[in-house]
Amino acid sequence: MRAQCMRRTPLSVILGLLFLSMTATSKCLGKYHELLLQLRRQADLMQDTSTLLDPYIHIQGLDTPGLKEHCRECPGAFPSEDALRGLSRQGFLQTLNATLGLVLHRLTALCQDLPEAQQLVGLNIRGFRSNIHCMSQLLRSSSEAETPEPTQPGPGPTPPPTPPSDAFQHKLKSCRFLHGYHRFMHSVGQVLQEWGESRSRSRSRSRRHSPCRAPGDTALARPCRGGARRTWPFRRDRRLMPRGQLPR
Amino acid sequence: MAVFAVFQTTFLLALLSLRTYESEVLSEPLPLTPESLKVSVNSTCQCLHLQWTVHSLAYHQELKMVFQIQISRFKTSNVIWVENYSTTVKRNQVLHWSWESELPLECAAHFIRMRSMVDDARIPKPGFWSNWSSWEEADAQNMLGHDPLFVFPKDKLVEEGSNVTICYVSRIHQDNISCYLEGVQIYGEQLDRSVSAFELKNVSFIREKGTNVFCKVDQGGVLGGIVLFVSKVLEEPKDFSCETQDLKTLTCTWDPGSDTGLTKQPSQSYTLFESFSGKKTLCKHRNWCDWQVAQDSQETYNFTLLAENYLRKRSVSILFNLTQRVHPMTPYNLLPKNVGATEATMTWKVHSIGNNSTLLCQLELLAEGKVIQQSNVSIKVNGEYLLSELEPDTEYVARVRCAYTNHFWKWSELISQKFNTAEAAPSEAPDVWRNLKMVSGHPTVSLFWKPLSKVHANGKILFYNVIVENLDKPSRFEVLSIPAPASSTELTLDQCSYQIHVTAHNSVGPSPASVIVVSGDPENEEVEQGRVNGTEDGFSVSWKPQSGDATGYVVEWCDGPQDLPCVLQWKNLGPNTTSTVISSGDFRPGVRYNFRIYGISTKRMAHLLEKKAGYLEELAPSDNPQVVMSRLTSHSFTLSWKDYPTESQPGFIQGYHVYLKPKAGEQCHPAFEKTVLPEDSVCCKYTIDNPEQKTFVVENLQPESVYEFIVTPYTSVGEGPLDAFTKVTTPDEYSHTLIHIILPMIFCILIVMIICYLKSQWLKEKCYPDSPNPYKSSVLSLIKSKENPHLTIMYVNDCVPDAIEVINKPEGSKIQFLGTRKSPTETEFTKPACLYLLPTEKNYSGPGPCICFENFTYNQAASDFASCGHFPVTPQAPPHQLGPLTSPENLLKALEQNYMNSLGEIPAGEANLNYVSQLASPTSGDKDSLPTNPPEPALCSEYKMQTAIPLGLASAPPSENSSLSSTTLLGQGEHCR
Repeated sequence: MRAQCMRRTPLSVILGLLFLSMTATSKCLGKYHELLLQLRRQADLMQDTSTLLDPYIHIQGLDTPGLKEHCRECPGAFPSEDALRGLSRQGFLQTLNATLGLVLHRLTALCQDLPEAQQLVGLNIRGFRSNIHCMSQLLRSSSEAETPEPTQPGPGPTPPPTPPSDAFQHKLKSCRFLHGYHRFMHSVGQVLQEWGESRSRSRSRSRRHSPCRAPGDTALARPCRGGARRTWPFRRDRRLMPRGQLPR
Repeated sequence: MAVFAVFQTTFLLALLSLRTYESEVLSEPLPLTPESLKVSVNSTCQCLHLQWTVHSLAYHQELKMVFQIQISRFKTSNVIWVENYSTTVKRNQVLHWSWESELPLECAAHFIRMRSMVDDARIPKPGFWSNWSSWEEADAQNMLGHDPLFVFPKDKLVEEGSNVTICYVSRIHQDNISCYLEGVQIYGEQLDRSVSAFELKNVSFIREKGTNVFCKVDQGGVLGGIVLFVSKVLEEPKDFSCETQDLKTLTCTWDPGSDTGLTKQPSQSYTLFESFSGKKTLCKHRNWCDWQVAQDSQETYNFTLLAENYLRKRSVSILFNLTQRVHPMTPYNLLPKNVGATEATMTWKVHSIGNNSTLLCQLELLAEGKVIQQSNVSIKVNGEYLLSELEPDTEYVARVRCAYTNHFWKWSELISQKFNTAEAAPSEAPDVWRNLKMVSGHPTVSLFWKPLSKVHANGKILFYNVIVENLDKPSRFEVLSIPAPASSTELTLDQCSYQIHVTAHNSVGPSPASVIVVSGDPENEEVEQGRVNGTEDGFSVSWKPQSGDATGYVVEWCDGPQDLPCVLQWKNLGPNTTSTVISSGDFRPGVRYNFRIYGISTKRMAHLLEKKAGYLEELAPSDNPQVVMSRLTSHSFTLSWKDYPTESQPGFIQGYHVYLKPKAGEQCHPAFEKTVLPEDSVCCKYTIDNPEQKTFVVENLQPESVYEFIVTPYTSVGEGPLDAFTKVTTPDEYSHTLIHIILPMIFCILIVMIICYLKSQWLKEKCYPDSPNPYKSSVLSLIKSKENPHLTIMYVNDCVPDAIEVINKPEGSKIQFLGTRKSPTETEFTKPACLYLLPTEKNYSGPGPCICFENFTYNQAASDFASCGHFPVTPQAPPHQLGPLTSPENLLKALEQNYMNSLGEIPAGEANLNYVSQLASPTSGDKDSLPTNPPEPALCSEYKMQTAIPLGLASAPPSENSSLSSTTLLGQGEHCR
């Protein structure tokens, strides 16, 4: 088993590097909506427990009464949804990128336990991070004139995993980690959903004020004329509001 | 010098003391107590590791000693293990000893002490134990953290089938702690207040990720657990062998058995060791390993394969000579060469083995998956072999394998090659049969032929040639070319005889011809049909041999049911054959098949010999006939099912059962048999054993009774379904008699009515003419027949009319006036014939009310007499005093004479008549409005019919106020006496 994992590792590394190189060399999607839609779809995919958690529980024999209920996310291991919602967009993206980096690292340690799923999910995370990078660039390009805002202190990235004291603890910790990962991706999906909604509201509001279009759209290359005030639906200082509430 | 002396003295003393000591040691045992005892805990192996020294030994002294070790658990008094450990001890040597605990060491404190004894042969006296060392405690619990619950041993690796003791240490001192093995609760022994142990016996492998054992506090979130890694038992490698393909490399293979790999333990490893050369190699694969043959011409090899994992080692060895383990590589370049219709040459190559080695190669030829030829060829590098006796246009597979000639060990792998032989002309004539029929008065021959088998076709058949030769006119030929894969054609002939040749052609040439002779004369179908029995193998058909020189027989049949188009089948048989079994995969149970047996004459002409019909397996009828019921009487009815086709039934119809459900309590007729139906109802059954009888009369029934019947056919297997009985109710016994009477009566009445209608004019004239003739009236006969004394004809003589005026009616066509007496003025307009009864009072100034008699009591004669004029009537004057014809009196007399002739005498006073008008005068009751112009027809009361009523009913006295209505007229009529 270990040998298989070792055999797979170079392949996954090669594929990962290839993917990263492709994403690095390929151009980012210039349209905000398409990028956001891609991120939301990826988040939906990554929150699916059948990709990681369920097979892990089954393989490790944790799907027995008395054990399964202990496979719950440790509080604070991942940023909560409220914490994510409280971040600025750039902060949110930075936190997401950092957290997924740690997840990727931790998943590599799980290679022995879930070789195939880990490989697939690893590719997904890399693709997701690539899109985060593009979104961050898109947001940054539209706010170059503004002073950079320090990253919103969130719950902090997940600390690197300590070597498991024994196999049983390792199983439970990994299970809790995977549970937290899926929950985190669900929260990310929720926040990204609100991005779309708030943009729609902002767009309708901006339409009332100005005919200028949002960045990422095809009209982005044409700056607003006639001294019209440039409207940006995602102001850095504007916090995401809960669904159903209008920003004040 | 002094110093030297002192040194010498000291040395001697020391030497002396040493000698003394040595003599003491060797002469008598010394108590050598173990010292510096240290105990450590190894959790991985659950071992207590002890180390100590014996300081009391002299330099360079080696003694064999025995150390007795005591181990106590929880407390020093609880000794659980005592063991004597013998070893040779040197001075200051650190001694080691380990002890593996069944109970995880973390769950209990252990105490160890030891003592020693010299056990050396150089010491003659038996030794004695030294004092015990002090107790040393090994308490792994001190290394635990602050968790409330611990389970041990952690990550223990055991083999399948082992017994394992696990334990937990609780810091919360609660009793409600439960432990589970893979979710199933286990029960153990409480060793201490906070420690419990569980013994798992004969543990089994569950998964590579280990078996989960956990304990938890009930109703709490405290959880502790371990993973027990249970490995499968390492198996000894099976089928270990080595061989070489080129005498350069040996390849050893084996069956590794189960993989013992776990998360905790890698899969077992394999090491190959050769004892003669002393070399070994770690195998990279779990079931094979390569070994480079030494260049020093080593011929014999002794290999040992060692399999090992963390828990066990297994090995297996083989000894062999290298040249006896040669397994040649697979031959290559196997190709066909010079392929003909019946021959082909195969060539191939082999890899050389060593120098000038010879290989034995085996060439096999396969057709349709079966080996049909096998040949052995010895070659060095290139092989070649000629294959003969091949079939044309056939696909073959040639395959070759080779073995080392010097010492056969194994055949190489096979190499195969397909090839096809060339085509040849078909070797056999097609099997041809014909079917003769008349189409539009012309004899038509349908020719059928079977495709040639692959063996005889020798290639792809492209077309069939049909040559039709008129035997009566030998010079006339007709050639038809029919492309394949057609298998039939149709020819329209005349009354001549024809010889037909059929040949099959492929790309090489034609087949031999199949010849058949047909005649335009229709076949003799007057052959009685017999029956044939079907068996599992088919139909066993036999026939009487044809008298004469038959060259063969043909049995002909249709594969499908009768209601489907016939797929003509036939079977050719030799001249000495009189029976055969006709089998076909298309034969189905319950289907009638008809067979015709033909004899083939020397002139190749077929004659129908016999006809047979049969079933592969007869079945019970699935449907019942449609029965028509007729001739229903009170005691019988007739059933008929003449349309029922017996030929298309799933068996030979042997007859019919007529079931009749009688009314309750009624017994079956003697001809019927009492039977019980499947639904337990009683029924009467009549069996008709003639399948051609399709009518049946059910008799001896009760009138006005309900019967149910069903007619079901039966075969040798069973009868049809008894599901739908038909109800019939017998009629009343006399109803048919009544019908016989009533119907003619109704018919007669209708005839009379029709006649009456047709003769209505005549009847009208006879019975109720517009100008009635009392002497012709049938009323008279009616009156006579009834002989009613109260009914009689009114005698005009008895009436004392005031006046009578006859007025012409407008319907001149019906009312005939005496034309000769009509005045021109009267004939100018048509008036109803009326009798105006005019009053005789003097003051009467206008015309009185008139009455139009249209009564058969007044005949035409009366009307003739009464010219339409006013007849002054005097009541006092007797009727006979009236004037002759022109006077009313004369008229009345004439009437009286006519009536008296027919009526005879009627007693006076009883023969009074009252006339009841049918139409009231439009001015009735108003005398003043009487019309002043009597001839005006509008003022007339028109009497269509009169009825004579007894006089007594109209006895009212006359009155001047009487109107001219009918009542008035009646009142006035009272005067008619």
